[in-house]
Amino acid sequence: MADFLRFVGVRAILAVVTLLIVSFIVFSLMEFVPGDCAERYLAYKNTQGQNLTLEDIDAERARLGLDQPFLYRWVTWVSGAFVGNFGDSCILRVSISQLLGSKFLISAGICFAALFVAYLVAIPVGIYAANSRNPVVNNVLRFVSYLGLALPNFLLALIIMLISTVYFGDSLSGLFSKEFRDAPWSMAKFWDFMSRAWLPIFILGWSATAFALQTVRALMLDEQSKLYVTAARARGLYGPRLLWRYPARHALGPIVNSLGFDLNRIFNELPIVAIILTLTEAGALLLEALARSNDQQLAGAIIFLLTATIVGLNFVTDIALAALDPRMRNSVMGGRG
Amino acid sequence: MTDVSQSAKEAYFTASQGQLIWARFKKQRAAMVAAWVLGLMILLGLFADFIGPYNPTIAGANKDYTNGAPQWPQFCDDNGCSARPFIYGVKRERSIETNFRWVSTIDTEDRRSLQWFVKGDEYQWFGVTLNRHLFGVADGTVHLFGTDDTGKDIFSRTLHAIKTSLAVGTLGVLISFVLALGIGGIAGYYGGVVDGVLQMITDAIRTIPAIPLFMALAAFVPDTWSAEMRFFFISIILGLIGWPTLARRVRTHLLVERNQDYVLAAELSGAGSGHIIRRHLLPSFTSYIIVDLVISFPYMVLSETALSFIGLGLKDPVTSLGVLLQNTTNADVLLNYQWYFIPVLFFVALVMAFVFVGDGLRDAADPYSEAKK
Repeated sequence: MADFLRFVGVRAILAVVTLLIVSFIVFSLMEFVPGDCAERYLAYKNTQGQNLTLEDIDAERARLGLDQPFLYRWVTWVSGAFVGNFGDSCILRVSISQLLGSKFLISAGICFAALFVAYLVAIPVGIYAANSRNPVVNNVLRFVSYLGLALPNFLLALIIMLISTVYFGDSLSGLFSKEFRDAPWSMAKFWDFMSRAWLPIFILGWSATAFALQTVRALMLDEQSKLYVTAARARGLYGPRLLWRYPARHALGPIVNSLGFDLNRIFNELPIVAIILTLTEAGALLLEALARSNDQQLAGAIIFLLTATIVGLNFVTDIALAALDPRMRNSVMGGRG
Repeated sequence: MTDVSQSAKEAYFTASQGQLIWARFKKQRAAMVAAWVLGLMILLGLFADFIGPYNPTIAGANKDYTNGAPQWPQFCDDNGCSARPFIYGVKRERSIETNFRWVSTIDTEDRRSLQWFVKGDEYQWFGVTLNRHLFGVADGTVHLFGTDDTGKDIFSRTLHAIKTSLAVGTLGVLISFVLALGIGGIAGYYGGVVDGVLQMITDAIRTIPAIPLFMALAAFVPDTWSAEMRFFFISIILGLIGWPTLARRVRTHLLVERNQDYVLAAELSGAGSGHIIRRHLLPSFTSYIIVDLVISFPYMVLSETALSFIGLGLKDPVTSLGVLLQNTTNADVLLNYQWYFIPVLFFVALVMAFVFVGDGLRDAADPYSEAKK
């Protein structure tokens, strides 16, 4: 048990180090961007009819702490970021955690739902495909998985919108109906949300499913040609019982390991799909924050949050794998291994 | 054993790596079809100026046929058949009867036959100014895929979009290739602490979702940048984002290979590091690298498309699929002008072709793929 705790500890430290590297990269990139927060805010003020001078900008810089050295500001930012405090938005002047709060949770929820749906479909279908000798099934599945790549989610979203506008007269956009948009959460609002959220979940899950399908199929094919499966067969095991007891368990490890990268892929698609379906969650907010007002504080916070979610998921899957897989368990917790 | 099979075996044993890969690649029907499609697409892209009948920018726009429907050439109609394919002339009018909207009526009496090598918009090709286009009509215009809201020919734009996507992809792949080879090579060849630190950084970069990060950077590109500047900026960023996966593969491969006996033999013969890397290690995995490059190509194209689509990538007058699709989400286009979506088919075909060719190459480059079957 002590070994296991040590393993968890080492992994946690690694995750934190990864996040530190990420935060440094993100922070430096936001620094390299032309113009800083003070200039942006005052330029915005200028458009409102106030005349501001260079001294005002310097004063604003001092107030925001922008005159401090780079490393000092990074340390301040990162120590805030780890407890969920990202400071104020450049232009809007409100706390970023407040601004993002529920929006980030909703988009993360949709992404995780899409990931879940993807594997719910991919695991049984992938195992079936690997086991099937039917060339039609295999070719169709191969084609569908390639289409998952070639027809990216945003094109799929466009096509679904095209079809639904032409045939149903509703473009299926938005996450809430008008009457619920600003209402507090309730059962009715939840159902309204669910009745609309299935579309982004499906669209986001689409290419994730296609990729997962290929992974599952390839892994199962690899495992099935191994000797232990032949041995199990020789003992008289067959059908689903054989598959679930032997090769599927071996294939599970790499699949669990790939979850983090699948989430990364879904996050990549999120902002674009969100724009097409005009969802007002973090994805669309990111674009808004960037394209309309060039708000680097907000942008940095969103990218950091997305990456932190992925790192967190990787950490959880590592631990889960160590607990589940007997080989890992033994090497981690000592014992026979 | 007959002479024929003997010579076939002889050919097999003396074949070069490239010949073996080609022989295995030829056996895969799907990959071969994809290779033909890909070749065709590349030709379409390279000769876009010549094959497309009009200039894809606003300079070539047909102001009299905005949001015009596709004109499909046909051979026969009620008035009989003709050996040359023809299209109909179109009249546009707007009056109180049509609610002041432009309404086009097709005049089926007015036949306009398609001709080869007609004169049209001028274009530069290797420094020569030319004005011949593959096909066109003598009087009036032909728009195979219709036109957009400013009258730009969607067919010509699609061809130019293919060219742009291929160019962005090639540049992006080249940049990520150089980075991956350098960083992965150093990590794999030296191993140890160097490898550990580089791996950590590579893994951290791999966890950052690329598109949101890219959006963050692209949004700060000043509007004053020219189309060419944007083009290079996008390619460079795509390359910078794409390298970690390839770097990891290069590193893993090098870690395995550098402990092989032939490397030891070379070292004992007194070969230097540079010589070993160039003459022994690199050739051992060139085929893998080529395959990886082909496979990563569609990702570059797709990222560019996605970014241009939301308005953060390329902009007019550069034409790419993303630029073409920019206006398609509004209800008017969805309901009335569905031909805006025709370029999507070409892009699905382009990406699919790359994926199938990449897959076929991967199988062909793997010397054990036959043993497995």
